[in-house]
Amino acid sequence: MEGLLHVEDLNIEFHDHIVPETVVYDFDLDMKEGEIVGLVGESGSGKSMSALAIAGLLSRHDMKKRGVIRFEGKSILDCPREELRQLQGDEICIIFQEPLTSLNPVKKIGWQVEESLRIHTDLPPEIRKQKALEALKEVELDDPQRVYDSYPHELSGGMRQRVMIAAAMVGNPKLLIADEPTTALDVTVQSQIVELLKKINKEKKTAILFISHDLSLVGQLCQRVLVMKNGYVVEEGTVEEIFDHPKESYTQKLISAIPKCEGAQDTVKNNPVLAEVEDVCVSFTKRKGLKKETKEVLKHVSLQINEGEILGLVGESGCGKSTLAKTIIGLLKPQSGRVNTKYPNTQMIFQDPYGSLNPTKTVGFIMEEPLKNLTEMSEQERRALAEEMITRVGLDPMYLSRYPSELSGGQRQRVCIATALMLKPKLIIADEPVSALDVTIQAEVLKLMSDLHNELGISFLFISHDLRVVYKMCDRILVMKSGEIVEEGNRSDIYEHPKHTYTKELLKSAGL
Amino acid sequence: MRYVFKKILSSIITLFIVSLLVFVAFALIPGDPALSRLGTNATESALASLRHQMGLDKPLMVRYFIWLGSALRGDFGTSYSYSMSVTSMIADKLPITVTLMIYSLLLMIVISVPLGVYASYKEGTLIDRIIQIINQIVMAIPPFFSGILITLFFGMILRIFTPGGFVSISKNAVGFFGFMFFPSLAIALPKSAMVLNLLYSSLNGEKKKDYVRTAYSRGNRSKTVFFGHMLKNASIPTITFLGMALADIIAGSIIIEQVFGIPGLGRILLTSIQNRDYPVVIAIIMLVAVVVIICNLAVDIIYRIVDPRVEENT
Repeated sequence: MEGLLHVEDLNIEFHDHIVPETVVYDFDLDMKEGEIVGLVGESGSGKSMSALAIAGLLSRHDMKKRGVIRFEGKSILDCPREELRQLQGDEICIIFQEPLTSLNPVKKIGWQVEESLRIHTDLPPEIRKQKALEALKEVELDDPQRVYDSYPHELSGGMRQRVMIAAAMVGNPKLLIADEPTTALDVTVQSQIVELLKKINKEKKTAILFISHDLSLVGQLCQRVLVMKNGYVVEEGTVEEIFDHPKESYTQKLISAIPKCEGAQDTVKNNPVLAEVEDVCVSFTKRKGLKKETKEVLKHVSLQINEGEILGLVGESGCGKSTLAKTIIGLLKPQSGRVNTKYPNTQMIFQDPYGSLNPTKTVGFIMEEPLKNLTEMSEQERRALAEEMITRVGLDPMYLSRYPSELSGGQRQRVCIATALMLKPKLIIADEPVSALDVTIQAEVLKLMSDLHNELGISFLFISHDLRVVYKMCDRILVMKSGEIVEEGNRSDIYEHPKHTYTKELLKSAGL
Repeated sequence: MRYVFKKILSSIITLFIVSLLVFVAFALIPGDPALSRLGTNATESALASLRHQMGLDKPLMVRYFIWLGSALRGDFGTSYSYSMSVTSMIADKLPITVTLMIYSLLLMIVISVPLGVYASYKEGTLIDRIIQIINQIVMAIPPFFSGILITLFFGMILRIFTPGGFVSISKNAVGFFGFMFFPSLAIALPKSAMVLNLLYSSLNGEKKKDYVRTAYSRGNRSKTVFFGHMLKNASIPTITFLGMALADIIAGSIIIEQVFGIPGLGRILLTSIQNRDYPVVIAIIMLVAVVVIICNLAVDIIYRIVDPRVEENT
C-alpha cells in the first residue's frame, strides 16, 4: 500500500556547465498521511533541491530530473503543468526560509493568504476573507484583521513566517513542505514556529516534510529523519535510532557537532580588567519630516572584560549586541559613558564571512592591510607574518594568493580570524562568528577560537544568539534585552539558576 | 494626504529657490540690456532713462521681488526685443509645446510598456531577441536624427504628412494632431527604447525573486504570476525613470520643433537667447521648471501608491 508520497530513485542534474553536475542521487522517500519527516544536511547537500522537486517547483530547463515522484498516485515529474498546478497550493504547500522575500512586497497580506483559495476554489470573496482570517487566527497571530490589512514590511520576521504558514494552510493541504522555515528567525521565535507546526500536524493531520540543517530542531519535531550528504541519503531512521545509535560516521559527526550543555567546569578567574564599559548610552536619531525620532539602542550599559576570559553576550536580533560591539571597538561614539581599553588593536570578526572580505583583493592583501596602515613593517616582514598567521588558523600559506570567492565559508571565516590576529590583539570581539556556517564547520571554527584563547591568551567577547554555542565557549555570560543587560553571571549560574524571566525564556526556547 | 501636502509644500519651496537662482544668474551675466536695445550710439541720458524705466537701477534683490510679485500674478515683464508682454508671447506657443510633450509621453508609454512586457514574457525566444536588437538600434538614435529619418520616410517617401506643413489647432484640429504625431514619435522613440530596456530587465530580475517561487507554489498560472505578481513590482523603477524622461522630453522638444518647423516655445527660446532677451528666457526656464517639478511630484505620488514601502524611507 503506497502512502501519501512516494519518491523513488530521484536524480537531479544541472546542465548549465559543460559537464553536467548531479546534485541529488537516488533519493528515496515514503511518507504516510499525517507523518512528520525531517530532512537534514548541510548546505549543498541537495535537501532543498529534493524538496523543490517534490513540490513541482524545479522547472528550469537546464535541470534534468529522473526517477519517480508520486503524490497520491499521481506522478509529479511527468504530469502536465496544468494538472500539477491543481495540486500546488491545494494539496501540496511549501514554506521557505526567508519569509520577507517570499512574500510579495507590494500586495497586502490578506490578498496573499487568500491566493490559494482564489485559484483552487469558487468561494465568494466574503467567505474567502473569513477563511483567511480564520487561518491567520490559527497560526496564533494576535490581531488577524490588522495583519490581513498589512503589507509584509510592516510585520516582524516571526509574524511573516506565521503568515506564510497561514497562506499554506488555508486550503487544508495534505502535505506541507517546510524548507528551513526557522533559519532566518530568532531563537525564541524558532521554537514557537516549531510548536506551531506540531500543533498543525496534530489538529489537521497534515503531513510535514521538515528540511533543516539544525539536527536539534529536527529532533524536537520529527518522527523520522533522513540525513543527506553531497546529494546522497546516507542514513535514515526514526529520531531515536538516529540520535541514539547513529550508524554512519557522518551522522555521528553531525550529532557530536551539536554543542552539548554538560560537563563544562566553571573556571573562576580573578584576572585584571582588560576593557571596561561604563554607563554607555547610544541612540540613533532619524528625521521623520520635521520631527526627529530618537531610538535608544543602548541604555546605561556597563561591563568588564577580564584578561584571558571568553565573555559571552547573548540576546535576540535588534537588542543592541552589535551596537555594543561597535562602541567597544570605537566605530561608534557613545552619547554618554566611557569605554576604556587597556591595550590597543582590539579586533573584530563579523557574522558574514562572504560580505566582510573584499572580493577583488587577494587573501594576502586583505591580511596585510592593517599592518600597512598601522605599522612600519617591510613587505617581507608583513608577508612572513601573514604566512605565520594563516598557518596558525589551519590553512596552507598558498591560500594567500587566492581570492575570497575561491574559498569555502569556513575557510573565509578562518581568514577573518587570521586577519584579526595580524595586529597581535589582546581582545577579539566576535560578532556571531559562526551563525552563517554549517554545523560541522561551526564546530571547527569554535575549536580554532578556543585553541587561540588557550595558546595565545587572547580574550574574546563572544556575541551570539545561540545559547548552546555560548555554553560551550564562554566562562561568563551577559544576557541582553532591548539595550539593557538584564543578567550577568558565570556559566553555571545562568544555565542552571537563571534569575531573569527573559533568560529563562531564552533557555526554554533553546530546549535547555 | 499629509504626505501629498508635504510634497507639494517642498515643491513650492524648490520652485522659489529655482526662480531666485535663475533671476540672479541672468542678472549677473555681463552686458547691459538697455545698451543692447538702444544700440551703441545711444546717449548716456537716454540709456539712464531707459534703465530707470526698465527698473535696472534698483538693487538686485528689490528687482527680484518686484519680478516675483508680478510673475505670481502671471506677468513676466516686457520682452526687450519685441516690446510686447512676455506672457502674451508665450501664451499662444505654450499649448503647442505642451501638446508635443504629452503626446510624446503617451507614445512612449504605448510603445515601450507592451513591448517590454511581451519581450520579457517571451524571454529567450526568437521574438524576444528581435525586439532586443531593434531596441538597441533605436536607443542609439538621438531625437533630432530620428526626426530627420521620420521626415524622410513618412514625409518624402510615403508622403503621409507634409514636412513643415504645420497647421494650428484652431484651423484644423485633425490636421494638427495628425501632423504632431510625427515630431512626437521622433522624441518618443529613443526614450521608449530606454523604458523598454529598463522594464524588460526589471521584469527579468523579478523572475528570480523568492515571492515568484511562492506564487508558483500556490498553483498560479504563469500568466497570473507574471501579470498579477511581477508587473507591479517591476514597474517601480520604471516609474522613476519616466519622471526623469519627462524632463528630457522638454529638451528634446526644443530641438524637434526646429526640425519640423513647429512654432512652439523652442523657437522663441532660441531667438531670445540669441537676442539676450532675458525676460523671455527667464519666463520659459521657469515654465520648464514648473513642469519638471510637477512631473516629479506626480511621480512621487504614483510611486507611493504603487510601492507601500516608500513611507518607511521618507
